Amino acid sequence: MYKAVVIGGSAGSFQVITKILSSLPKNFPLPVLLCLHRLKHVRSGFVEALSIKSTIPIVEPYDKETIKPGKGYLAPSNYHMYVELNKRIALSTEEPVNHSRPSIDLTFETAAQAYRDKLIGIILSGANRDGAYGLKKLKHAGGLAIVQDPNECQVKTMTEASLKLTTVDHIFTTEQIINFLLNLK
Amino acid sequence: MNKYELGIVDTRNIIKTLQDVYNYDFKNYALTFFKRRVEKVIINHNLKDADGFIQKIETNKDFFEIFLQEMCVEDTEMFRDPSLWRVLKEELFPKIIHGAVNFKIWFPEVSSGEELFSTAIILKKLNLLKNVQLIASSISELEIEKTKKGLFDPKKIEVNNPNFKRVFSESELSDFYTYENDTAYWDTSLIENTKFIKQNIIFDDYPKGVKLVLCRNQMIYYNQILQERFIKIIYNSLVPGGHLIIGNHEKIDYWNSDKDYTLISKVESIYKKKLS
Repeated sequence: MYKAVVIGGSAGSFQVITKILSSLPKNFPLPVLLCLHRLKHVRSGFVEALSIKSTIPIVEPYDKETIKPGKGYLAPSNYHMYVELNKRIALSTEEPVNHSRPSIDLTFETAAQAYRDKLIGIILSGANRDGAYGLKKLKHAGGLAIVQDPNECQVKTMTEASLKLTTVDHIFTTEQIINFLLNLK
Repeated sequence: MNKYELGIVDTRNIIKTLQDVYNYDFKNYALTFFKRRVEKVIINHNLKDADGFIQKIETNKDFFEIFLQEMCVEDTEMFRDPSLWRVLKEELFPKIIHGAVNFKIWFPEVSSGEELFSTAIILKKLNLLKNVQLIASSISELEIEKTKKGLFDPKKIEVNNPNFKRVFSESELSDFYTYENDTAYWDTSLIENTKFIKQNIIFDDYPKGVKLVLCRNQMIYYNQILQERFIKIIYNSLVPGGHLIIGNHEKIDYWNSDKDYTLISKVESIYKKKLS
């Protein structure tokens, strides 16, 4: 019944992300939107590093690219990544939000407007509050909100900020997140 | 983060008002972007909601100009993606501009002017500024006035200067700007021969005989319909053999451009219009 997964993370999330991406089946039925804080001057390398581990293809999308199931979309460095209502990616160089570009809040908020209750949102380890408000919007639009267990996070700021703002559906360890995604039909 | 959220019906009403009152057609802007910008204006001007926005913009031409300025996304920084500017400085500009007369370079949406000034600085350093005609258009009169004065946000200095160093390791960007009393402005002699044009959204009028179009990260604010129209206009504006540079996550090949352009650099998104 779900149509997309959106994942946000910052400091301490890279290993968690690669673990998740390496555990998904090749025919994972949903698109995975990834908004991870990253260095803006390092334009290449990151998507390659994720791709090595991932079972599904990961791309840094072009503007207005159509979102397809079984594929990962990584927000490109120094751009915000939005989801348009017609399920296409839109990129933006508007001002940073929460000192971040890409901003997790913006990816989550626009994905929530496009997918409403058909969206799963996951907030991982991170060192600022970006993502907390986006997860709230996602939950408000009827989506399913998951937060990585702060006890497991390398840096708890992002998950704790999210939990403070939203009554989430699940607080999961990495293993539990993976199991949950594997059981999606 | 915008705390006020505009509904779809409200958004459509606003687009209709702008069309009816000012003949500006925003319906083919990317919807998420348009919504976000209007929300920002509603919050920053304490307009409460869509009706408040519509009432104000219907009766207040000055406010409409402020709104147009908000629809121009400021260029993020000088020499954004320094590797592109190194290619322009070391390869492309010397090759295509050296010896030329009145070489036309068009910036279809100049917004806060960072791309214009970055280009002018490189040309100046290469002693090629006298060979070119810079043409800068914008939908915002206010943005044009600000750019003409060379004003820029001093907060950008901390990103501008390191970017510049990645292009010109031996010189200082501060040779080209003044910063005093919290105000920063470029050396406007760089743009003394630049032609500024107020443009409407659908580019009814555009420069012809252009040899280089620099338009990075503007098309991303359009939907596919306006992108297609815009790409055609750029094509008609360019001379055969002219160059086009777009943002590194923008694409023109949705529009069957293989037959129109040769891709010169995939990494830096540089295209060359075919001769026939």
